Amino acid sequence: MIKFSSTACTALRKHAPALRVHRWTKAGLLSVLLAAFTGSACLAQSEPPRHIDVGSLPATVVDDVVIPVPTEVFGVLDKLGSPNWHEVLRSVKTENLGNRTQVALLLGATIAEGFIAVESQEAEEVKKIGRQVLTLSKAIGVQKSVISRTSSIIEAADKKNWKVIRLEFDGASKDVKQAMVELGDDQLAQLVSLGGWLRGTEALTQVVTKNYSKDGAELLHQPAIVDFFQRKLDSLHPRLKESSLVKKIAHQLPELRTLIEPAGGVSPQKVEKIHSITAELVKAISSQD
Amino acid sequence: MKTIVSFALACLISLCTAHATVDDALSYALQAAQPYVKEGFTVREDYWGGDLPVKQTKAIVQQLFKGNEYWFWMGTDVANAKISVHVYDAEGHLAEVEYWRNKPHMAAARVVPKVSGSYYLIVEIEKSPLERTHWALAYGFR
Repeated sequence: MIKFSSTACTALRKHAPALRVHRWTKAGLLSVLLAAFTGSACLAQSEPPRHIDVGSLPATVVDDVVIPVPTEVFGVLDKLGSPNWHEVLRSVKTENLGNRTQVALLLGATIAEGFIAVESQEAEEVKKIGRQVLTLSKAIGVQKSVISRTSSIIEAADKKNWKVIRLEFDGASKDVKQAMVELGDDQLAQLVSLGGWLRGTEALTQVVTKNYSKDGAELLHQPAIVDFFQRKLDSLHPRLKESSLVKKIAHQLPELRTLIEPAGGVSPQKVEKIHSITAELVKAISSQD
Repeated sequence: MKTIVSFALACLISLCTAHATVDDALSYALQAAQPYVKEGFTVREDYWGGDLPVKQTKAIVQQLFKGNEYWFWMGTDVANAKISVHVYDAEGHLAEVEYWRNKPHMAAARVVPKVSGSYYLIVEIEKSPLERTHWALAYGFR
């Protein structure tokens, strides 16, 4: 430490004329240097470590994972090219609804469809999906939580305010899940996220299959999310686990987990396989249980 | 009976207080986000929050996508607390390209992911006059 100070003093002496202009005394100069050094040492001490051991994190890990909204992925696809979102958009049916498990999954898939409708800038479809979100929310008793959201979606669709619609779909997803948690249905709330993720992944793989790129395929590398859903399905109440739909999804998740590895190595064949699995699961969610 | 009612009320009040302070922490996180919203960042509705003692960290696993740019904004309701958020990639390398923590109630980190995958967000209460300090973390992307 002392050596550093004296070296710095020697260096400063070389620039003495400039320093003399300020009439700094030697003692004053030393105190400035000391202060500067102490300051930089403090700064260095509080700098974040360049590397941490993720195998033994120096922190407790939060169990919850925030599931990305489809826009986070679709936005990257838009930057990589100009996907034909009209081809991806699909009409959602909300007749002949099945049990609450299916409705929760379908609600998530419908919200994801809303994001696709925004990408394809189909205002009428956005409005229709907004109304379907309300119908599905009503079927599981959480319609109050999304009334204002769906009204905003319809209003913004009339004005073609796509940014607001994206925010409102994200908000609707959060609000219905929150309402379910408040009703003690937190496990069902996770199924909303799962339904949305499956439909989002199906759409992503459809776009990437049509126009394969390594960067596009890399978007499928989502290990934390698949692990999170696997954990959630494993811990479901036996009654929910008995649902044939849940069984079907739980059966396919380990294969999806394998297919999304390694990062940067999701081949065209793997993308197609992921697409066929997620398409089959979304079809099952949309059909009567 | 009176004791039970009083106890239930006390629990409810303490729960409400805890909730209110995480909400306050979130409002600071969202305040930190405001200038970036003007730059085109979309702020997610979901967020993380809780309370932590000083010097204890919390790790959050989050999926980030190459091609996006992210800001993570942390807030606390405690004015003279020092908080921080840092982001590491799946191999444990510091992944943020920028961070700040010199504003009251707030800290933030910016990430431009080099690969899509899991990232670790490490939040910490570095200094606080309270035993436990409420915090909230929001994020945005563009």
